[in-house]
Amino acid sequence: MAYDPLLARIDELSGAFTAGQIDRRRFLKGLIGLGLSLPAIGVIVAACSSASSTASPAAAASSTAGAASLPGTADLIAAAKTEGTVYQTGIPPEWVNYQGIFDLWKADYGINIDGTATEGEYSSGQELDSIKNTGKPDVGDVGIAFAVQAKTQGLSAPYKNSYWADIPDTAKDADGYWCCNYWGAQAFAVNTDAVKIPIKDWSDLLDPSLKNAVGIDGDPTKANDSFFAVWSAALANGGGVDNIQPGIDWFNKLQQSGNLTAARASDANILSGEVKVAIKWDYLGLAVRDKAAGAPNITVTIPSSGSLASPYADIVAAKAPHPNAAKLWQELIYSDAAQLLFLKGYAHPIRFDVLNAAGKIPADLAAKLPSADLYKKVTLVTDIAKITAAQTALGAGWKIVINS
Amino acid sequence: MRSLTARTPAGAPTAARSRGGRAALALLPFGVLITLFLLVPTVSLVWGSFHDSRTGAFTFVNYSYLEHPLDLVPFANSLELSLASTILGGLVGLLIAQAIVSSRRPFIQEIATTFSSVAANFAGVPLAFAFIATLGVNGLLTRTLLGAGIDLYSGGFKLYSVLGLTVVYAYWEIPLMVLVMLPPLQAMKPAWREAAEILGASRWQYLRSVAIPILMTPFISSMLLLYANAFGAYATAYALTSGFVSIVPIEISNLINGDVNYDPGLADALAIGLAVIMAVCIGGRAILERRSTRWLSR
Repeated sequence: MAYDPLLARIDELSGAFTAGQIDRRRFLKGLIGLGLSLPAIGVIVAACSSASSTASPAAAASSTAGAASLPGTADLIAAAKTEGTVYQTGIPPEWVNYQGIFDLWKADYGINIDGTATEGEYSSGQELDSIKNTGKPDVGDVGIAFAVQAKTQGLSAPYKNSYWADIPDTAKDADGYWCCNYWGAQAFAVNTDAVKIPIKDWSDLLDPSLKNAVGIDGDPTKANDSFFAVWSAALANGGGVDNIQPGIDWFNKLQQSGNLTAARASDANILSGEVKVAIKWDYLGLAVRDKAAGAPNITVTIPSSGSLASPYADIVAAKAPHPNAAKLWQELIYSDAAQLLFLKGYAHPIRFDVLNAAGKIPADLAAKLPSADLYKKVTLVTDIAKITAAQTALGAGWKIVINS
Repeated sequence: MRSLTARTPAGAPTAARSRGGRAALALLPFGVLITLFLLVPTVSLVWGSFHDSRTGAFTFVNYSYLEHPLDLVPFANSLELSLASTILGGLVGLLIAQAIVSSRRPFIQEIATTFSSVAANFAGVPLAFAFIATLGVNGLLTRTLLGAGIDLYSGGFKLYSVLGLTVVYAYWEIPLMVLVMLPPLQAMKPAWREAAEILGASRWQYLRSVAIPILMTPFISSMLLLYANAFGAYATAYALTSGFVSIVPIEISNLINGDVNYDPGLADALAIGLAVIMAVCIGGRAILERRSTRWLSR
């Protein structure tokens, strides 16, 4: 996209408005002064207002942000604007509220986002293939194992965002080749219309009243979601990240009790009551709770013995055609405003603890989530060697659960 | 095209030979199809099943599953499921087909044929959901029966089990049986029955000495078709049980797409086991087919 002085001026104005530097009247006057038509102004103001309602308090509070209170230094923003585009792979708008972050990005910088339509739905493996073979992507959102793989294959470039110190050591590459941006934890989504006993922990699921009621999200030897369900069960039964076996044994007990149903804990089966207690990612459980809207009533909780969380990581492509835009994207997604947008999409942002400690999580948002205290028992799994070991153990052990 | 060239006088002496050549040419697409989709995969399966997935060295180790009781469970489940759904689908389908033929109303036959061809192909994810909504823990029929005091699930029934899958498989096995048994039943000539009656045969004697011997071969060959069909089915079972009831096709798919159990060599060896069972069924059907067409050709 060529440099357009008019667009740049609109960017500047909307940036200032979103950041709360100018009020609505001055913003409108500025836009009219540019000779824009009224419908066009309407569109711009609407876009900025929706972004500013979530973005401005956080952006204003952010001390790390650079020029015009936006994430990123003035030089980086200028360089990224000159590049004009950020090409993304594997970042679909409907996933973890990325649409909100797209809106924020456009409102803050007015830089074009490309790749969403063609590569938005790519799996992590396809993302790496695209980086390797097409050379188009600037940034990608990948599963943790693929982030590590990208580094070893030389597909990612090092970049440490301004919030680097906030991010736990296990959730970032020491050299900056990848950084986790959000995570989901295994949770129980309980249909409280059908389940009359309180479900707080793994042991509650063995209750005789729950015959054919407990489901997981697919075959754990294939699906990551149910794999982590089995692995998480190890935490309450003497195992852990280093030892999945107690989790497999516990599932065998669940199967013998007749409580485990083979019906997949999919949205359809949860909504119809076919699966009454679903063990799955918290963000998926919360989304289906909202979708159900009381029919049936669904409560999402984190097991009190804890559960495991699996993060997604962001990488900057080694041969990014727009390296500055890629870096600016990193600045944006780790900023308070974008991190809160992830949380709004029910993914826990990697800086959750920092934001929580600083009291930056809005009360109405916190009320929609399981309590922050329960999340203290959640363990983030980022060690690829341990994931591989757990998968191998599961491959051998799961046969016994289903075949005996 | 053929009639055009045949009329050319100059072509006459070589017509026979060139027709043979052209016939061979016409077979070429079929040959290519068979080679690409049957021969090449089969050879690759056999080769793969005797080679180690990681090292590529020749080995018998992929067939060691034949010695592990736990690895034979999928075969036992598959055999049980196929046998049960074949018997259920075959017998019910035969009775329905006979009822349709006996009705002697062409429009009933047409409706039945059309419905059967649709139902016989209704499988996979939609069928699985239809059954979850009907016979699942919270299904319509389950709840209706519960209201009437019959608790299917505490009575031992479970949709997500070999028994449940048998019922689901019967959903397409029955119409398939109707489809394949209608032609032989319709081909039974009334004259045979009349001839038997004139000669003083009772109804039972007619059945035993005329109808059953003629229909036995198409019946058995249809049953074999149903059996092979059930044995190879994958999508419905997977959509319904997400792998909790292990049957051979699901086991194979786990070994080739699973992140966890990736072992194409073992998958090849399992597929060979599956192929042997299928080949016996289809081969048996072919042999029986040849015997029965003699009588039923119109």
